[in-house]
Amino acid sequence: MRNLFTPKNLRNLILIIVIAGVLILAISGYLTPIFSVSVSPLISAQSWISERYLAFSDFFGSPRDMATLQGENFTLRNEVAQLQSEIISLQENLAQADILYTLLDFARNNPEHEYEAATVIGREISPYLQYIIIDKGSNNGLQYGMPVVTQQGLVGRIDAVISDAARVQLITDAGSVVNVRLKTANVEGQVSGSITGEVSLDMVPIDAQMDIGEVILTSGLGGTYPPNIFVGQVLSLQSNQNALFQTGSVQPIVDFSALSAVLVITNFEAVDITPLVP
Amino acid sequence: MLVYLAYAMSFVLAMMLQYGVFSRWMILSGSPDLVLLLVIALCLHQKQRWFWILILIMGGVVGFVSALPFFLPMIVYMAVYLVSLSLKQRVWQTPLLAMFLLTFSATIVVNFLSIAVLFVQRIPFVFSEALVRVVLPSVFLNMFLAIPVHAIVRELSIWMNPQGAQV
Repeated sequence: MRNLFTPKNLRNLILIIVIAGVLILAISGYLTPIFSVSVSPLISAQSWISERYLAFSDFFGSPRDMATLQGENFTLRNEVAQLQSEIISLQENLAQADILYTLLDFARNNPEHEYEAATVIGREISPYLQYIIIDKGSNNGLQYGMPVVTQQGLVGRIDAVISDAARVQLITDAGSVVNVRLKTANVEGQVSGSITGEVSLDMVPIDAQMDIGEVILTSGLGGTYPPNIFVGQVLSLQSNQNALFQTGSVQPIVDFSALSAVLVITNFEAVDITPLVP
Repeated sequence: MLVYLAYAMSFVLAMMLQYGVFSRWMILSGSPDLVLLLVIALCLHQKQRWFWILILIMGGVVGFVSALPFFLPMIVYMAVYLVSLSLKQRVWQTPLLAMFLLTFSATIVVNFLSIAVLFVQRIPFVFSEALVRVVLPSVFLNMFLAIPVHAIVRELSIWMNPQGAQV
């Protein structure tokens, strides 16, 4: 009789029983934690290899895609540049429109005067003189001596006119003198410019009571400017007991370094009092 | 004739740039004078016989547009022209040095003539303030701009007056 329990058969039997047991345990779910623990490093390793491969593949497969992307990038950059220039253009138009609307608003709020809007196209060549050039002239009804303002306040007056341009003497010019009135103190004085563009207050009576920040308006005396145009505010005061008048420095309300558009008061005729001056 | 036309066009361009741009470039209260620099550079590079007439016209135009007295730019530009004739004979081998020399002296002269005009017109000013805040910054800016203006005018001059190989 053949012996069924030979070592070979016994080993095969044990192997079959072990495999069957593992299968039963796996089907019944008892081996899931063991699988997950043992498979997780493999998945990580696989992911690492896969990523490196894809990177490697992209690197060597990129020249064709790079050229395409560069082309698209160039096109998009052009579009962005074009859009940016359009934005800048629109912003400039908006800024110009804002200025014009503000000037229009000022004109509506001061209906006693007639205005001619003008653009500043240049500044005086000599640093000692504070003048600007505007793009309106006698063809637009501008004449010598007409006051020039902005929505903020007094700018100056027309000094010379040709057909399509005019030269405006600013109140910061050394040769400019404006008769003014201090609003709260209700006293009169003079505002004059300087070669450096600074504005000073003079000829204020020594006994006048006024504070820093006092509002300065044109008085209309002398017939050079219409009354009640905002000039600026008192910045500082100097009074000497032995002096006849108080003096001070003035902060002009208009930013003369950034003037871009002005209004010329066209229905005001300056009075020439030169023959009356002794 | 073409040379005069080119010089006149460059003068017009310089005027526009001066009034539109360079008058706003300020250090303290001083500003550069591009037109003066152009006149100096043209005087140093010109070879035309009747160039002084163009200089007079340039002075007249500046005197007309500017609030300065009409005669002042004409006098200064003619003085620059006459001095440049002498300088070209003496320091002709170093035109940039002549440019610097003329720029410095012409700027000083223009500034002091402007101060003299203010004095005659009885406009009050403090001389030391004018010197520190206007004259010195203007001189610095003009000296600074003298180099590019000289280079541009030199190229223009070479282009308008082609010459053979120089020994």
